[in-house]
Amino acid sequence: MKLTTRQLTLCAVLTAMALALSYLENFFPLSLAIPIPGIKLGLANIVTVFALYALGPGQALLILIGRCLLGAVFAGNMNALIFSLLGGVTAMLVMILLSRSGRLSVYGVSIGGAAAHNCGQVAAAVLTLGNTAPCYYLPILLGVSLFTGALTGLVAACLFRALAHTGLTRG
Amino acid sequence: MKLSPKLQPCRWDGLVVLLVVVLAAACALAVWSRGTDTGELTAVVTVDGVETERIPLKEFPDGERTYSGNGYTLHVRLEASQGETGLGLYVAAADCPTQDCVHTGTITRAGQSIVCLPARVIIRLEGGTVDRDAPDVVIG
Repeated sequence: MKLTTRQLTLCAVLTAMALALSYLENFFPLSLAIPIPGIKLGLANIVTVFALYALGPGQALLILIGRCLLGAVFAGNMNALIFSLLGGVTAMLVMILLSRSGRLSVYGVSIGGAAAHNCGQVAAAVLTLGNTAPCYYLPILLGVSLFTGALTGLVAACLFRALAHTGLTRG
Repeated sequence: MKLSPKLQPCRWDGLVVLLVVVLAAACALAVWSRGTDTGELTAVVTVDGVETERIPLKEFPDGERTYSGNGYTLHVRLEASQGETGLGLYVAAADCPTQDCVHTGTITRAGQSIVCLPARVIIRLEGGTVDRDAPDVVIG
């Protein structure tokens, strides 16, 4: 993939923002209210949704992988890498498909992505633990993803409205 | 190729919501209905993918048992007068960074589990002898 300097810079800025949002998320631990491993707001997904529309699937995937790798390095936890990668890539693929359909708004795409992210993470947990016990949490995680997905969709929609005049979303 | 996003929720979004709800319900049916409450409630402990212990809750020691995996230790205690069978398990303390296992609270029914991802420890309750999913006869 060949990137212009402008695209590369945008990708870098968005990767940094996604990392900052993942970190910020630690201050709003959803897991305190609903004690399930892996439950979170998924604020970094705002960046993924934005990049998917504004920059296209290829660059959105680059940003996602960069975020997962750097996040794991910064946290010093390589075990978490498989969770974020499998969840993130599953979400990405589902969101690419949903956005291609052309009928869904950012809300639908975001909710689909959040649900897919949880499926990917549970799959990662089943793989690492060698046990199907984590599937027990999937129905709850899917239910919560409706709300977290709608929230990230809302933020993304606000972002597009606010940036409409800049032409950034049109390249 | 870039797309201009639709910013207002539409009918098709409802379809995605419906799909997720159906998926969650199907999952809940498949996962939560497994096992029965007949027979003795047994704690099955799995560490790093290997089943290490299987203790009926009635024989669970009064004090606490510790399970270690991946450098972390979980302190598991029995709680009386909880749920239908009157017995439950909870993680009283753990030295893992996430503390999800401690926040999970007490589990009392078959099929419930406490999962500690950092320690790779799973404590799962099973209903005992009757298993609806088990084959009646295996031939050939």
